[in-house]
Amino acid sequence: MKKLAAVLGAMMLAGCVGPNPYVTPVEDRSNRQVTTPPPPGSVESVEPSPGVSVQPIEDVPVFRPQRETLPESGSINVAPTEMPASEPRNAAVVALLDTANRNTQGGDLRAAQNSLERALRIAPRDPQVYYQLADVQRRLGQFMQAEQVALKGVNVANGQPTELRRLWSLIALIRSDAGNGAGARAAQQEASRY
Amino acid sequence: MSKKRNNRKNSRSRKTSRSWFRALLGPLLKLSLVLAVIAAVGLIYLDAQVREKFEGKRWALPAKVYARPLELYPGQQLSAEDFRLELKGLGYRSVSSVSRPGSAHWNGGRVQLVTRGFPFPDGAEPSRNMTLEFGGQGLQRILDDRGRSLSLVRMEPVLIGGIYPQDNEDRDLIRLEDAPAMLPTALVAVEDRDYYSHHGISLKGIARAMMVNIRAGRFVQGGSTLTQQLIKNFYLTDERTLARKLLEMPMAVLLDLHYSKDEILEAYLNEVYLGQSGARAIHGFGMGSQYYFGRPVGELSLSQVALLAGLVKGPSYYDPRRHPERALNRRNLVLRLLHEQDKISDAEYEEAVAEPLGVVEQRSLQKGAYPAYLDLVRRQLREEYREEDLSSEGLRVFTALDPQVQSRAERAQSTTLEQLEKRYGQSAKGLEASMVVTDPQTGEILAVIGGRDSRYEGFNRALDALRPIGSLVKPAIYLTALERGYTLATPLEDEAFKLKLPNGDVWSPDNFDNKSHGRVPLHYSLSHSYNQSTARLGLDIGVDKVIDMLERLGVERELKPYPSLLLGAQALSPLEVAGVYQTLAANGFRMPLRAIRSVTDAQGQELSRYPFALRQEVDPALVHLIQYAMQEVAREGTARYVYSQLPPNLNIAGKTGTSNDQRDSWFAGFTGNRLAVVWVGRDDNAKLPFTGSGGALRIWTDYMRREHPEPFYATRPEKVEYVWVDDATGLLSDQRCEGSRQLPFIRGTEPKDSVDCGQLRRSGNPLDWFRSWFQ
Repeated sequence: MKKLAAVLGAMMLAGCVGPNPYVTPVEDRSNRQVTTPPPPGSVESVEPSPGVSVQPIEDVPVFRPQRETLPESGSINVAPTEMPASEPRNAAVVALLDTANRNTQGGDLRAAQNSLERALRIAPRDPQVYYQLADVQRRLGQFMQAEQVALKGVNVANGQPTELRRLWSLIALIRSDAGNGAGARAAQQEASRY
Repeated sequence: MSKKRNNRKNSRSRKTSRSWFRALLGPLLKLSLVLAVIAAVGLIYLDAQVREKFEGKRWALPAKVYARPLELYPGQQLSAEDFRLELKGLGYRSVSSVSRPGSAHWNGGRVQLVTRGFPFPDGAEPSRNMTLEFGGQGLQRILDDRGRSLSLVRMEPVLIGGIYPQDNEDRDLIRLEDAPAMLPTALVAVEDRDYYSHHGISLKGIARAMMVNIRAGRFVQGGSTLTQQLIKNFYLTDERTLARKLLEMPMAVLLDLHYSKDEILEAYLNEVYLGQSGARAIHGFGMGSQYYFGRPVGELSLSQVALLAGLVKGPSYYDPRRHPERALNRRNLVLRLLHEQDKISDAEYEEAVAEPLGVVEQRSLQKGAYPAYLDLVRRQLREEYREEDLSSEGLRVFTALDPQVQSRAERAQSTTLEQLEKRYGQSAKGLEASMVVTDPQTGEILAVIGGRDSRYEGFNRALDALRPIGSLVKPAIYLTALERGYTLATPLEDEAFKLKLPNGDVWSPDNFDNKSHGRVPLHYSLSHSYNQSTARLGLDIGVDKVIDMLERLGVERELKPYPSLLLGAQALSPLEVAGVYQTLAANGFRMPLRAIRSVTDAQGQELSRYPFALRQEVDPALVHLIQYAMQEVAREGTARYVYSQLPPNLNIAGKTGTSNDQRDSWFAGFTGNRLAVVWVGRDDNAKLPFTGSGGALRIWTDYMRREHPEPFYATRPEKVEYVWVDDATGLLSDQRCEGSRQLPFIRGTEPKDSVDCGQLRRSGNPLDWFRSWFQ
């Protein structure tokens, strides 16, 4: 209901303006003023801005016929591709992660790093590999790299809440180790979303 | 009296002789004393020399450069055929029953083998006797000799090259115990029969040689012992002077005095010259074995040992590749000597004599097969190491080169270029090409081809050919636009325009088909590579912003802010392009492309490493959108050709590029685990009879067809939503409406107004209809 009310309000406001064809294009044009003047000495326009003209969105509704049959997701020319359900972790990767864990516990961080890089080549889409690698780099004091590797982990962990929570917590830890308190809190907040 | 006289007489004569003697004795004594002192000093000096060189660092050892080791694990996408090639590259013998390292026995989809093991910097991989089972899905199981299954095994890496010292001597040091026992035996039998009994020089040997020479009437045999030969090669120069000859003998005696026969023999094994490969001189039996048989010396058969031992006398005269007949005779002579001296049995002799030479083709050797990749490795090494250390300290360099990827890329390039020449005839003569292949997940460089002749150690086009990149620049422009608020559905104007440049020229870009296409959605403009809409878009957002994006994506070269940059006038090398596309493939994480994994010293101690490193440069959600449009390039845009050859589930993302006047043909694109950049053109910059899709794309596609890569999965970031939009207007639409397609949007930027195909009038309730507008 709230949404509807808001919508109705917006409609009424729009109604006040009338059928202005130059209203609400999707994209943000605010930067246009900034970018139009060409960099000094490079470009001078001989026409009025050759940039994109925004299509007026008119009140006239656009009609389209309906499809006889619905396109299946698979037959769409360009499909939004989702990862296939994550496969069980390969025994080789398990072995490497274990070795890395042992090395980390034993303080041999270089060896751990080596094992994890081997694991990364075999399973570059496994968030756990990034998690452990980032943690090793954190212990090595390479906070910048540690955070970036963890962020890459977040990227590959799309749609896996448990992994995302762990990775964001790790990022919080990395940031606080690096003395970035505000960043750590932000990351912790991010972690609590999952 | 007479006696006295006689005595006197005698004494007088004795006196005279004695005085003569005495007169001589003094100076003689002095002289010989002086001579003795000189000789002694000389000997001490020689002795010091002999010992110093023998005990110090004996040889300048070239750095060894290795390919990536093949990792084996169940579930790996590795076909039996691929593994067969890997074993071939490593010089494994195919045998009926395996026993020794470096041998393999194939039985259908199963192979039993004994690996050699390898001292990797992160730990030694032991030699294993194991069985691999291959199936339709690749490698299924690995079993050790007791039937237990193994989860991960690393093969030894292929040695792909070295960095040689000034004299171009290449050697691979071995210890005496690494050599087959028959090797020293054969050497002694054929070169120096009395080796174990003489003291550095052999009078018997010299006498025997003289007899032989007199009988033959010419010089056929030298009397040099192995020790003298070592002295000659190891300590002395090549000049044939008397002084050298005179030094040789005492030095040989001294050497023999100080060191054991085995120590001297070991040095001999490593010093001896065994052949020539271009500028590279093959020294020692370790390298000789690799050069002629493609495997370690310890794995050589009797006949192969005999051939190498026979080669010592004249590596070029008996060169088994150039003069197989002579080599065979020489080898059999060595075998006969061994047999005569009862070193081998009748049966062994018969078997060995009957064997072919067994020398591998020089072309099949891995060493020297990757000049372009090695060039890249060398350049990266020079940033950290001194040239003399690289060529003398025996460093080990572990790279990411994948010989199988390289070989597929080379085959794809050469066959496609031949097809292009056949198809376009004269106008396609003299084509050149180069290629870079990386792993988009790790940023490792897997293969580099520097030109048409992939074995040519010359101009490396992958690194040094700077060519205008044409439309390869477009994803960077569109990504900049997306970052500044555009969406994939934003309509662009594909219309002609004129732009006056500071130098007075007027710039008016044209489309490839010389037509303007009016209003087109942004994604469509990219996938169909329209120039006018792109140039307008680029000018609108600002060339400097585009440059900033290119730099974030990985270009380090200084870029000039000319509007022509928007259509790819900027020249880059294929490697630089790979760096940019790597960032696009890795969801906006920029990683330095790496060829080297680590460097160790000769003892395996790690000196430097090049770890996985990355930095997020662009929001992954925005990169997701551009990846969508780059997939559209392959599905329905300028790179449609790929799906006529490749499976539809690969989700290829890429971009074609053609430079002005069609001088350069480019394609850069990626799948899940392979990114490849291909350039085709001419060194003289002449016009090509085809575009990016007609040339480079063909090579790219053929390569991927051979590679069987993993599909590219673009996982949807949380910020991104897929909605159905109307193609023509960019308005919201519905799956049920004609002319609609699903497009990804950053949440909140999707269009608000919708087309109407009746999809909204499901229920009779007008409020529902009204509400559904805004869902």
